[in-house]
Amino acid sequence: MKKGREVGRISFSLTDAFRLSYHNVRRRFSREVLIMAAITLGIAFFSMLSLTDAFFKAYTQTQGGTLQVESYQYWLVFVSLAVCIVSITNSTIIAVYERYREIGTMKCIGALDQHVLELFLAESIILSLAGGALGFVLGLIASILSVGFTVGFGIVTRISPVVLLSLLGETMGLSLLLSTLATIYPAYRAAKLNPVEALRYEV
Amino acid sequence: MKFDNIIETEELARYYEIGGEVIKALDGVELQVRRGEYLSIVGPSGSGKTTLFNMIGGLDRPTRGRIIIDEVDISKLDAYELAWLRCRKIGYIFQTFNLIYTLTALENVALPTVFAGVPRDEGAKKAEAFLTSVGLGERLAHKPLELSAGQQQRVAIARAMINDPAIILADEPTGNLDLHTGTDIINLIREMNKTRGVTVIAATHDLKMIGASDRVVWMRDGKIEKIEKGGPGEVYKEPLGASGLSSGAPSHYD
Repeated sequence: MKKGREVGRISFSLTDAFRLSYHNVRRRFSREVLIMAAITLGIAFFSMLSLTDAFFKAYTQTQGGTLQVESYQYWLVFVSLAVCIVSITNSTIIAVYERYREIGTMKCIGALDQHVLELFLAESIILSLAGGALGFVLGLIASILSVGFTVGFGIVTRISPVVLLSLLGETMGLSLLLSTLATIYPAYRAAKLNPVEALRYEV
Repeated sequence: MKFDNIIETEELARYYEIGGEVIKALDGVELQVRRGEYLSIVGPSGSGKTTLFNMIGGLDRPTRGRIIIDEVDISKLDAYELAWLRCRKIGYIFQTFNLIYTLTALENVALPTVFAGVPRDEGAKKAEAFLTSVGLGERLAHKPLELSAGQQQRVAIARAMINDPAIILADEPTGNLDLHTGTDIINLIREMNKTRGVTVIAATHDLKMIGASDRVVWMRDGKIEKIEKGGPGEVYKEPLGASGLSSGAPSHYD
């Protein structure tokens, strides 16, 4: 009897994962928008606060004074981000249920557990980048309005682009981290699905 | 004359434990499937057909016994090797088609080539050729839900065939189709079997499928009840397994 080791390679690149996930995001747009909205709102609140803080710093450096973001506001952001994680996890668990058969089928045509994991994580990265960017823009607008009405809109021109860019980077990083944290459990569950059960599942 | 067996099962058993009670889904199945044959598996629901399918397809592991595909005991393969087996050696056709609804017909058919490591352009070209060969050359960019049930099953057949598998496992492939479309699908599977030499194993309630097959395996209570030569005439009598047949697809009797 021949040894079973003489098998070939299974290939599934990250590009493939992102391509399939992109298709999935486009096709299931309404559900994906809901998941993205959770990220966007959480991030918008966070970046509004961090941008307001940056504006206040720029203002107090030139004009003096003691404007600052209150610490209880950071607590609110913390809570809102926690809610954001929970709601993304919840939506993704439901999305996994909806895609049971799809996951079973993928496994039938050669997908390994890790490929299913990659698919869900790729999707989470796409959503978190889009949601993070949108959230940052919303936060920027909100902070300009709030600071503008407090100390005048002139402050907007005084913030350095470097600060703005580093805040953008920070925000995107946070968005990616939150989204990954929220997705890892449902994605792991999807990856571990037994194809027999996945195919039997009636939606 | 010595036959070349592509699949052999030895003392194959699969037990499940549900609520402390042991269910014997398969109980000592000895089956030899010859290379290039068209084998139908018939039996009432709960007879173990699907379990046997899952075993041969490497989707489930036996409680005891062996499944040998091309001289390799697949119950000893690891996850990676099983994935490779499912990708390259075996093509699946399901009752519910199981196409990916977010992808077009072309992308669905090309999907197994992604896992097989075929370059994208080449995979797409191959998928186009396969879709054309099942008569859907004009429907490449359609999503599954824009296709009729019969067309969806054709896409699924093209997908099952694209990596040139040695075995096609078809679980009730005509179960969701009307009489006419079902006949077309059986003819298509039979044609793939004849022209490409792929071994077909089909679980079915459908008398038309039994008529098309080389051999028919009758299953009951996790065991093989009998094996008959296929073809029309053999199948229309009322054998022991007939209760399952009539409950499964009465509309197919005309």
